[in-house]
Amino acid sequence: MQKPNQSPICSGPSARGPLLLAGTVLLLGALGCQRDGVSHYRVPKEAAPPAPVAQVPGTMPPQAGQGAPTPQFAGSPLKWTLPTGWSETPGEGMRFATFKTPLQGRVEATVVVLPGPAGGELANVNRWRGQISLPPLDEAALAKARATLKTRAGVVNVYDFTSEGKAQSRMVAGYISAPDGNTWFLKLTGDAAPVAKGKPDFMRILESLRLD
Amino acid sequence: MIKTYASRFWSLLKSFQVTIVMLALLMCLVLLCTLAQVEMGTAGAVNAYMRSFIVWGDFSLVPFRVPIFPGGALVGLILACNLMAKTLDMKRTWAKAGMWLVHLGLIILFAGEFVAGMMQVDTNLSIEVGQTVNYVSSYKTMELALVDVTDPAYDDVHSIPESLLSKNRPIPVPGTPVTLSVKKFFPNAELANLPAGQTSLATAGVGPGVQVVERPTATADGEVNQVSAFVEVLAGGRSLGVWLVSNALGAPQGFVHEGRAYTLSMRLLRQYLPYAFTLKQFRHDVYPGTDIPKNFSSLVQVVNPSRKESREVLIFMNQPLRYEGKTFYQASFGKNDTLSVLSVVENPGWLLPYVSCVLVSLGLLVHFTIVLRRSLKRRQEKLEG
Repeated sequence: MQKPNQSPICSGPSARGPLLLAGTVLLLGALGCQRDGVSHYRVPKEAAPPAPVAQVPGTMPPQAGQGAPTPQFAGSPLKWTLPTGWSETPGEGMRFATFKTPLQGRVEATVVVLPGPAGGELANVNRWRGQISLPPLDEAALAKARATLKTRAGVVNVYDFTSEGKAQSRMVAGYISAPDGNTWFLKLTGDAAPVAKGKPDFMRILESLRLD
Repeated sequence: MIKTYASRFWSLLKSFQVTIVMLALLMCLVLLCTLAQVEMGTAGAVNAYMRSFIVWGDFSLVPFRVPIFPGGALVGLILACNLMAKTLDMKRTWAKAGMWLVHLGLIILFAGEFVAGMMQVDTNLSIEVGQTVNYVSSYKTMELALVDVTDPAYDDVHSIPESLLSKNRPIPVPGTPVTLSVKKFFPNAELANLPAGQTSLATAGVGPGVQVVERPTATADGEVNQVSAFVEVLAGGRSLGVWLVSNALGAPQGFVHEGRAYTLSMRLLRQYLPYAFTLKQFRHDVYPGTDIPKNFSSLVQVVNPSRKESREVLIFMNQPLRYEGKTFYQASFGKNDTLSVLSVVENPGWLLPYVSCVLVSLGLLVHFTIVLRRSLKRRQEKLEG
């Protein structure tokens, strides 16, 4: 009986096997090693950042913003009346509520409440300006930008900022210190056109502010 | 002596018994990982059981974590070594060429899973209609972003990963005079009003009025930790104050040092790209008369200055964009259909499973051809003899 053809493909010392194996294992180990460090990027200023959305990939989940947990600052003394077509959903984290508007396009209306003076009016206004890529203001410029609105909850400081550039973002914000010591921010932000359209209704919300 | 031990170890490594034991362990791991998903979520369970070398357990009686089971990475590594040892031990003859190819294909399949486990990065790109975005964000991992916003056209972003903050040690920020000293780190926390009479570690920004209560880390899918920390900013040999940073705070806080304006914010870890996407249109089509989704698509303008490229791409379900080593899938949407979320996957080893399949198929074909040829030859010899 004839043996099957067994001509060698290659030959070499058998000690190569363990060495090759050890090399592969070390390479895989090296791939797994990651070092933490501070990274640096120089990037063009961004226009208006979107709200972060955390979803697991692979599926098309429900619309972002739905099913938000109960706010931390429940039982607030501040109340308002919504115009026709506007509705309200509870917020999450430091956000007290989100207003759903009938406006078309990129626009968002929110209520944020922070404890105490919340770092001061200047710092907060500059934070908002930073969100639409505007440079910070000083106290004198802040006073110039401020408009006031008398409501049953007290005086609301109102700011209206529009970013520069081709795609303009706009922010209309009301700032009020409530008697419980908290600071309330009501903001309408988004593309300049829908914000302009929604501003009259938003101002009516600010005018309707009252204490419970 | 050493040679004897090495020889024994080599014999053990290439033994079939090791293969059986490792396969049994893998089966147990699959079961344990499936059960653990109830508590830990899919990603948490896969990381704890399948992509770790050791599965650790926490017991109230012991103050430290205890290894309870070999992890999927360790079992996979031993199995891959076993397979490689067995392959290297095979006779190097043409008669075994098919088996060599099959084994090589399986080794590449294992290597592909290792590369995916260690190097695959899953991120997402959230973009609103009309907006231009040049970064992708992590789903869960946070970073403390110290941004020098002084330049009117550019931002200098210094990203400190969450893992570095958790080490609670001073972090010098290269390229700036700033050193950040982490006073306290919370992997997950709830923020609320600071009750009267209590004081906060924070001395600047919004932090002095906020109470931070530590919470167990969120592990379920879709849940994001509210990572928080009290961070002291040191510059020019003095303290500028202690800030509370948390992704629950939203907009960044800021400070000025030597005429340069900086912002501080905890946010989802970003990876900046050398190109940018502008969302021109997002479509959410439904079947007529129903709310059942028919199609989701994002029309994006891809602008890449390094390639002098500017083109429109339509990304829709099952039709991702593969670009510069990343794959962009349509994944989610929001804000009254004005926000599109693309899932971004970067896996340098994405081709390996395909290579493996081709090699295994080819190997089996070669092997069956050799066996068939041998069998026919024997039959012919029998008939002749």
